[in-house]
Amino acid sequence: MRTTTRVSAALAMLLSLAASTARAQSANINATATVYQAMTVTGARTLDFGNVFPGVNKAVAVTDATSGRFDLVGQAAANVNLTFTLPANLTSAGNNLPVGTWTGCWNPTANNSASGCTAFTPSGSASAVAFGGSSGTSNMWVFVGATVSPGAAQVAGTYTGTVTLTAAYF
Amino acid sequence: MRRCFALLVLALIAVTRPLTGQSQVTGIRNLAFGVVIRGVQTSVAPADPIKSGRFYVRHQLNRQVRVAFTLPTQLPRVGGGGNLPITFRATDAIAQGTAGNSVPVTFNPNNPITFTLTTSADFYLNLGGRVSPAAGQATGNYQGTVTLTCTFF
Repeated sequence: MRTTTRVSAALAMLLSLAASTARAQSANINATATVYQAMTVTGARTLDFGNVFPGVNKAVAVTDATSGRFDLVGQAAANVNLTFTLPANLTSAGNNLPVGTWTGCWNPTANNSASGCTAFTPSGSASAVAFGGSSGTSNMWVFVGATVSPGAAQVAGTYTGTVTLTAAYF
Repeated sequence: MRRCFALLVLALIAVTRPLTGQSQVTGIRNLAFGVVIRGVQTSVAPADPIKSGRFYVRHQLNRQVRVAFTLPTQLPRVGGGGNLPITFRATDAIAQGTAGNSVPVTFNPNNPITFTLTTSADFYLNLGGRVSPAAGQATGNYQGTVTLTCTFF
């Protein structure tokens, strides 16, 4: 009888022990963010092919004075993806003038010249570039060239199209 | 008789005490907002496979785990010079068991919650959130700590 009582007491104690065996463990992760200033993108110069003639292709190089140019201002040293929406044709009153062979060049140094810039191919896929400097605000200039290909019977007129540059930090 | 009693006690202890080595909680991915712009609130969804924070928790099937986050309200700027406000909403945490039939549970990371592990002995906890940089927020890197405390029953 005494043994039974002792075992019962032990069981009660053990059940109590089991009920209090909850154990805590902890783990950490970090929450991180990098704050940049807002970036501005300005279409600064029109890509201008000037006069072109039926059947004669005409190219504008990124280093030409009539290349297209975008001016960017953003966070120094920040990485940026450049993505373009490019027309396949310039249009005039329903007529198309094919445009292609796009060329690009970006320059993060403190001038707005294409001299010494870094070449890339503008497209709908992101091109990775970077602002210069180490802190504060920095500038970048992006130049765009292309080739138009008038047909032999190209209708005369003024042809226009839109080139859109989207820039995003990454 | 005493010897038998002692053996019985040891056996009961072995049966009633959970196996310590089977329970664990591990931080496996930071909650990473990446680049945020001054003056622009930026969110990370708990289901984001890259930016959401993530913990792994393992215990025992049919047992309970109480999970409690310790969440920051500000992320200090690395090197000093300011704090970045951070908040967590009622749907910013998801628990997902590892079994094929486990159903994800969305819950409020601001409050503790207890789960009973009915389909798998382990699960992942994903954490989202949002930061609200001021228009004049100092640029730079900000970092804080998220702690998950699990109580295993």
